[in-house]
Amino acid sequence: MTDLLTLLVQQSVNGVYLGCLYVMVALGLTLIYGVLNQINFAHADFVTVGAFAALFTATRFGTKVLGLPDTGAYLLSMVAALGAGALLGLAINAAVFAPLRERGDELRPLIATIGVSVLLENFQLWLLGPIPYQFDSPFSLETIRIGRIFFTAQSVLVVVAAALAIVALYAFMKFTFLGKALRAVAQDRETAGLMGINPNLLIALTIVIASALAGVGGALLGPVLVLTPFAGATVIVKAFAIVIIGGFGNMQGTIIAGLLVGVIEAFTVQYLGSGLIDLVVFVLLLVMLVVRPTGLIAERKEENV
Amino acid sequence: MSARLVSLLIAILVLAALPWLLPTPYWRGILVLCAMNVLLALSLNLVLGYTGQLNLGQSAFFAIGAYVSTILVKTYAWNFWLASLAAVAAAGLLGLALAAFAVRLRGHYLAIASLGFAVITYQVLVNWEKVTEGVRGIYGILPPVASTTGLFYLVAGITLVVYVLIDNLMRSPVGDTLRAIREDEVSAASLGVNGALWKAFAFGLGAAIAGLAGCFYPGFVGTLVPDAFNIIESFTMMAMVIVGGMGTMIGPVIGAIVLTFLPEVLRDFGEFRLMIYGLALTLVVLFMPGGIVQAWRTLLRSR
Amino acid sequence: MMFLKAENISKSFGGVRAVQNVSLEVPENSIFALIGPNGAGKSTLLNLLSGIYQPDAGQLTFQEKNLIGLPAHRRVRLGLARTFQKIRLFKQLTLLENVRAGFHIHQDAPFWKNLLHGNSGSFRDEAHELLEFVGLESLAGERAGALPYGKQRLLEIARALATRPRLFMLDEPAAGLNGSEVDFLLDRLIQIAGRGITLVVVEHNMDLVMNVAQRVFVMDHGEQLFEGAPREVQANPRVIEAYLGGEFQ
Repeated sequence: MTDLLTLLVQQSVNGVYLGCLYVMVALGLTLIYGVLNQINFAHADFVTVGAFAALFTATRFGTKVLGLPDTGAYLLSMVAALGAGALLGLAINAAVFAPLRERGDELRPLIATIGVSVLLENFQLWLLGPIPYQFDSPFSLETIRIGRIFFTAQSVLVVVAAALAIVALYAFMKFTFLGKALRAVAQDRETAGLMGINPNLLIALTIVIASALAGVGGALLGPVLVLTPFAGATVIVKAFAIVIIGGFGNMQGTIIAGLLVGVIEAFTVQYLGSGLIDLVVFVLLLVMLVVRPTGLIAERKEENV
Repeated sequence: MSARLVSLLIAILVLAALPWLLPTPYWRGILVLCAMNVLLALSLNLVLGYTGQLNLGQSAFFAIGAYVSTILVKTYAWNFWLASLAAVAAAGLLGLALAAFAVRLRGHYLAIASLGFAVITYQVLVNWEKVTEGVRGIYGILPPVASTTGLFYLVAGITLVVYVLIDNLMRSPVGDTLRAIREDEVSAASLGVNGALWKAFAFGLGAAIAGLAGCFYPGFVGTLVPDAFNIIESFTMMAMVIVGGMGTMIGPVIGAIVLTFLPEVLRDFGEFRLMIYGLALTLVVLFMPGGIVQAWRTLLRSR
Repeated sequence: MMFLKAENISKSFGGVRAVQNVSLEVPENSIFALIGPNGAGKSTLLNLLSGIYQPDAGQLTFQEKNLIGLPAHRRVRLGLARTFQKIRLFKQLTLLENVRAGFHIHQDAPFWKNLLHGNSGSFRDEAHELLEFVGLESLAGERAGALPYGKQRLLEIARALATRPRLFMLDEPAAGLNGSEVDFLLDRLIQIAGRGITLVVVEHNMDLVMNVAQRVFVMDHGEQLFEGAPREVQANPRVIEAYLGGEFQ
């Protein structure tokens, strides 16, 4: 019986770790949806670029040029990934979201970002080739044991990073002028405009923050993923599922759903086999859409007729 | 003779001549692929272009058509045409299943739900090895007609018939109804349109047509693996519809032709090929929002 | 027998009571006006009558047929039609296509006929007549979204008339129209009523209400305030206090 309990706790711990990784990616999607009502399909590739940026910063620059220890180089690489994500966010806003915003349609920005995604993936394929890269985090080697439960320092780092990101995001939204302005834009773009808030700038800022999160997510996911130019795509479908399960644009819902999906994945691997993860997650998604189409935390909106 | 009949005759003549204009086996193969892509683009356009439903899961129905027909022929020794009929019906029914979600969901929610639908279908193909052979794949599948030219005539003929029938339908009150749903569902309901029913109709018919295209694919390639029905396939179909011009009849046909031949023409560029493809998709959306058809019309008007 | 009858219908949105215990009776062959200050619940009431919302409580009948639980598209088949406060045209479609879509419930060609013949001619003449009626015939081939605001309102009326309603509900048809447009609208409404179509009009334009309506129903804060002939409404102190105030002296 205690063995079973140990197993349950162990898998839950693994699940929370995975969930935190997904939350980092899904939060960006939900943030963008909140202010812009758009989906960024290339978000997946921001994760991949973040992972590669981190890998090369750590191995080529951090240890070799700066002579940092492995752990220092990895922490530095997270900053690089953040920067890479932010830059990509700036670029996709300028190239796609800003020009298409005026037309107010759901389909075209979605397709344009699919185009960007195909472009980015194949650019990386040309640059880096199809063979998976080895990306070891020095923190993965350190195992921590509490009772009969094991976890790595890397998983602690991931949970801490995700928690920091969430706290920072909430603090930003609640306490800074920019955050308040962002929420105003999310609720009503026209009114926010009247209040003297420049919605264009704020939307750009949101996309940059969201993309930076994806970049850091990439640095943290790098050691977990089979790191090829297409690595992000495997995460993003789950991130989409999480965003929907949590309710599009709802940060709290996204966090809960992300952790839930992580835990479900851990148990699916344990009891059903890793091949069935996507199946389980998406069946859950469809069930969810039938039972609660507005997400875990329902925001009731009546259509204004 | 009406202009429509003239265009139809020209289309038949061009289709008849094509295998002789592109005489190498390689290019004839591309022709077959192109005819299948046109059929797929037509099927998605019905849902996306005319009914306005963000469907990212069309590859699932293509897959169902391919797998059901192949398994019935290979494992149960059915006649190809009977198996195809069953496959089309199966795809259509699955389309109705997705419609059950489309009735309750709008916009991006439907987009992700349909994406999930395609992911689930793909995962079932991978994991249900007893029936689908999983990633190992099914080999040695024969086409319904032995020669590539014959296969082209068959698929192109079916595609032409489907085109004419959909065209008729879109000129009829049914077309008015679907377009009304696309433009404004609440408004359509205020005119007595049962949105749920007509969306189910569009999804079911679109899925059945994609399933029909799927019946010819395995025989043409000779093998069947789940990877042929990845999410990317849905995106490719969508690209064809958008690049050509969605919500028009001829647009998706042009889009399918361009996007089938473009990668072949770009083959010399090797790895740049798909990069150009992605860039082209983005640029078309940014600068030609109505696709090639609308750009052409604008050009004609400005002259 | 009452034509349209609502008894004690209520509707809340997330705790906010938009319509509370409203009862009304619309007689056949009349023009019935629904007025009240902004946020009084007029549009919500219209949405309840037309089936876009279902009431939380109450009875609703049309020609003694129960409407509760019947979705909007089914009510159209009983003879209810409506326009919207925020104009909801099929913007990418032409004027003719907009009106043609309005004939949906009267289309009776079998499916195979549509499939094999296209059959695009059905109700074409009637659609042109309706466009003629609202003075938009010359623009039949234009895109509806490209029309100026006032003409969009008229097109929406033509489209709704295509359903051949017996009860026609209009949500602020004069909003945003200029003087001559209002006059034209007024004339058309009287003509529509003259064809035996009962009208329910939500309106802010008092000239319009007082000139055409036989009955006026006044709402405030989701509740019924008063009901009577236009003259009585003008004279009623509660109405003047709550709503008309200085505007109407």
